[in-house]
Amino acid sequence: MTRALVTGLGAITPIGLTAHDFWENLVTGTSGVTTITRFDATNLPVTIAAEVKGFEASNYMDSKAARRMARFAQFAVAAAHLAAEDAHLTLKDEERRRAASAVATGSGGAIDTMDEQMVLIEKGPARVSPFYIPVMAPNMGACQVSMHLGLRGPALTSVAACASGLYSYMEAKQLITSGRADVVLAGGTEAALHPLPIAALANMRALSRRNHEPTRASRPFDRDREGFVFGEGAVIMVIESEERALARKAKVYAELAGGGLSCDASHITAPLEDGSGAADAIAEALRDSGMEPEDLDYIAAHGTGTPLNDVSETRAVKAALGEHAYNVALSSPKSMVGHLLGGAGAVGALAAVLAVHHDTVPPTINLENPDPDCDLDYTALKSASRQVRAAGANGFGFGGQNGCVIFRKYKA
Amino acid sequence: MATVFERVSAVVVRQLKVGAEEVTPEANLIDDLRADSLDIVDLTIAIEEEFSAEADFEIRDEDAENIHTIQDILDFLATQGLS
Repeated sequence: MTRALVTGLGAITPIGLTAHDFWENLVTGTSGVTTITRFDATNLPVTIAAEVKGFEASNYMDSKAARRMARFAQFAVAAAHLAAEDAHLTLKDEERRRAASAVATGSGGAIDTMDEQMVLIEKGPARVSPFYIPVMAPNMGACQVSMHLGLRGPALTSVAACASGLYSYMEAKQLITSGRADVVLAGGTEAALHPLPIAALANMRALSRRNHEPTRASRPFDRDREGFVFGEGAVIMVIESEERALARKAKVYAELAGGGLSCDASHITAPLEDGSGAADAIAEALRDSGMEPEDLDYIAAHGTGTPLNDVSETRAVKAALGEHAYNVALSSPKSMVGHLLGGAGAVGALAAVLAVHHDTVPPTINLENPDPDCDLDYTALKSASRQVRAAGANGFGFGGQNGCVIFRKYKA
Repeated sequence: MATVFERVSAVVVRQLKVGAEEVTPEANLIDDLRADSLDIVDLTIAIEEEFSAEADFEIRDEDAENIHTIQDILDFLATQGLS
């Protein structure tokens, strides 16, 4: 069975518009959270977010193509171009049918629906854009990536709330190891920054209201955490069969070893208190990768910074890893990047890949007073230099969807 | 005050992302300005918006069928008293 290797990285995030800048800022503990600049948020209970700043779609695609795409799809296409460039990926015509995309999202172009609905109400049906449907449809992240890179194999879109991005890596691994594809552009994207979801999540008490201190608002595993910070962005990686990667002497960041998925089958928003659903996903990821708990050195935690998640996730890690839970390093990229929702799993996956590549664990910033119920090593405040043979990425979503994907150092 | 042609040209440049120098009266929307059928629907909506303050009209499907070039748009607008 061929193995699935990571050969290219692309990222459009609140802390960097390349995977390289993302990693530099992640390791140095740089927050991407600010007061919302995209729209006037002064009447909202939450006025902070992790926005992607300085993004110009026309730097990555022609401006006419960009006008036919929602922001979530623009992010995906940009990140895919960056990943393909990083991988020095070129596809001959006969290779395109064996090249696929897997681009997950939580809500696709839902915010475009809100804007177009206003046109319908205020100006009438004759003024509704003919582009509305192909702009907002959630599958357009994957389809636009396939269009722009000429990938004629499957184009897949998983919708699994905040676990979405991880599903793409499960799909990529299956496509590669089953022999259905040789190359998969895989990741997640989200651009849902709009007053409506902010208001809804704030009313749910899911968001931090530390409006006066944006960079200190996202504080996973800290005693004073009060919710997550809304974010946006995309991460796409080139996942390639071992044969193809070796034949073209590609740079290999890591092996996509395996993954596990599960569902709590319990509640629309709250995770199982004992973390058993998430634990099942982590245990299955280890089994799928042919690994023991002791083989894992780092976990990019889901770590949202909501009171419920961080305790439940801590219990899940203990249930899945046993005593080794106290030896493994964890950290939450969300402390800096915010919560990219459908893109979050892919951000965690990128942190895991780069931790393996650099033997460095990025920190959890703002973890000043650990919650007594969160008693693992979350790499508080400062990054740690340590060998990372293998790293997992966790993602848990509303609906009870759980995912864990594992990357390890590639040995031929 | 911009002429009708100048205003149409500005809308076409914005909607179709083409260079201003490409927008001549003879320019064919599909062959010269690289529009597809969705672009043309989008463009007609934008033209209606542009002139909505002066004339309340709708470019119906049967009107749109006769629009191939920039001059066709100008001719249609002339029938609405815009010239």
